[in-house]
Amino acid sequence: MTEMLEAFRLVAAPDVPIAILASAIYGLVVGSLPGLSATMATALLVPVTFYLSPIAAVATIITASAMAIFSGDIPGCLLRIPGTPASAAYTNEAYAMTRKGQAELALGAGLWFSAIGGIVGTLSLVLMAPLLAEMALSFSTFEYFWLAFLGLMCATLVARSSPIKAIAAMLLGLLIACIGMENPAGTPRFTFGIPDLLGGVEIIPALVGAFAVSEVIRAMVTPEPPPIPRRKFGSILAGQWQLTKKYQLPMWRGNLIGIIIGVLPGAGADMAAWVSYAMAKKFSKEQEKFGTGHPEGLVEAGASNNASLASGWVPALLFGIPGDTITAIAIGVLYMKGLNPGPTLFTERADSMYALYIIFILANIIMIPLGIGMIRVATLVLRAPRSAVMPVILLLCAVGSFATGNNLFAVILVALFGCLGFVMERNGYPVAAMVLGIVMGAMVEQNFITSLIKSDGDVMPFIERPVSGVLAAMTFGALLWPAGVWVWRRFGGGRLPAAETPR
Amino acid sequence: MQLSDRVTGAVLVVLGGVAAYAGSRLPAVPGQDVGPAAFPMLIGIGLVICGVLIALGIGRSFEVAEAEAPAGQGSRRLAGLRALIPPALLLFYVLAADRLGFLPTAAVIVLVMALALGARLRLAVPLAVVAPVLIHLAFYKLLRVPLPAGLLPVPW
Repeated sequence: MTEMLEAFRLVAAPDVPIAILASAIYGLVVGSLPGLSATMATALLVPVTFYLSPIAAVATIITASAMAIFSGDIPGCLLRIPGTPASAAYTNEAYAMTRKGQAELALGAGLWFSAIGGIVGTLSLVLMAPLLAEMALSFSTFEYFWLAFLGLMCATLVARSSPIKAIAAMLLGLLIACIGMENPAGTPRFTFGIPDLLGGVEIIPALVGAFAVSEVIRAMVTPEPPPIPRRKFGSILAGQWQLTKKYQLPMWRGNLIGIIIGVLPGAGADMAAWVSYAMAKKFSKEQEKFGTGHPEGLVEAGASNNASLASGWVPALLFGIPGDTITAIAIGVLYMKGLNPGPTLFTERADSMYALYIIFILANIIMIPLGIGMIRVATLVLRAPRSAVMPVILLLCAVGSFATGNNLFAVILVALFGCLGFVMERNGYPVAAMVLGIVMGAMVEQNFITSLIKSDGDVMPFIERPVSGVLAAMTFGALLWPAGVWVWRRFGGGRLPAAETPR
Repeated sequence: MQLSDRVTGAVLVVLGGVAAYAGSRLPAVPGQDVGPAAFPMLIGIGLVICGVLIALGIGRSFEVAEAEAPAGQGSRRLAGLRALIPPALLLFYVLAADRLGFLPTAAVIVLVMALALGARLRLAVPLAVVAPVLIHLAFYKLLRVPLPAGLLPVPW
């Protein structure tokens, strides 16, 4: 109980509410601009978190990412361009509703069910994390190796591209993580004689480059999206209660799937939304209405992507394994602020953990009034010409990455990763898989090599322990899943409902 | 930059091969079977396998055909060059920031980017003046990032 009170005291510190409010507005605006994703919003925030107290720093990340995931629905609904990849699954549906004159209902559903999903996801985090923490205390390097490896394999499943390209992208990330002397033996590897590379490739410049600069480059070669027509909105929340009652089952299913996908290391909000939308369609009584402006899929997927956001913190806090690209950034911030992820975090820093839960709930509650405000001014924000937004983003990329270490080499890295990210995306290689490879490379190698040394080069101990055996089976399942699907499609004559995706 | 799967696959094969070879040359830790060489070699071999599979076109059936806006051949080549503007401007920042100082360098970057994206001068010039000042205020004053003063020191 004293910890709970202490947590409230931490959240009530003057800088925390200010940080939550400012990052909420920032997240709403950035998320609503097409091409600027929630991950990018979070990555650009990191230099700012250097200068905040630990709780305020974590609060900015939580709030900004939750807001950005919701506000990605806005341009999807009004322009048929998803603001963040997590909204892409139901963009067509939302736009069809707008064409039917139900823009308010569609946007309101995005907002209302995002908030519900976020709160349910937080409750799952509150319940699950301490239970798993107890179990995690008995984990050795074998389990950690499989967990990290499973995370990487899930990251390749998320990608809606060829699984082989996704694995290649992930391996590329692991290779990049090899650079430097931060390996178990302390040998400098692949540094090409550049002293700046001895410490390895820093995560933040790589992230900013791969997610933000590549988008700026993309803006250079793609035509500008059409201007949005000005419009006034009626009541946003009218009718949401009826929707909640009518589509209770899809809503809970969406929450549940979001939570499960979020907890899986490596798979995040994008995947949750796609799976939930497909589920909604499959189990709906009115399948034929999907795609013509039917709110059911919106309810399920909108709840799902925000639920996954909160539960994605479970592997991040417990094992330091990112649940998605956003928590990959959050883990860096946690380390920086002395809240090192691990099972002991829940016993030794319980007050900080409670504070984190409170922030999650707060962020999802203030999402409703702020979100309504954002929807009202959206037509104004979305009118900002790309030629004004992108130059500022590019400048922020340069300054933000410089600020991570006051080192100009980081700016060079940002430029390199921008080009790499752009080329990869153009050719169907998922950038997120590479980034997770970079983030988790050191951890995979550390646990792999340590385990091999412990077992004297024997592979049996990797699968002998019960938990590691289960994790190994899951990992190979993820690895062989695409092959199984391919064989089934080829010879079973079965027709998979390929998720339809005009983006 | 749309390349065929053969090209990207071949690049991966070469990259993986080089990584595995360079990894195998790393000095071993005395008295230990697995050292710094093991991990890069494994990754390198994996990359080679993936590269071969990609070049052979396996797994393409999973890819979602992306609706690409049709572009004329001539404008396409030009578009490829335009893609180099943002990274070039970042390199310009690295080279010029210390000598020119933050404000002039940033102003040049914003101006060039805005014009390249088709902004009118009426928008680009005020933006190039205001945006660097605001960013400087936020990062230098609030976050205490030591941005270089250079030729144009700021009064705060």
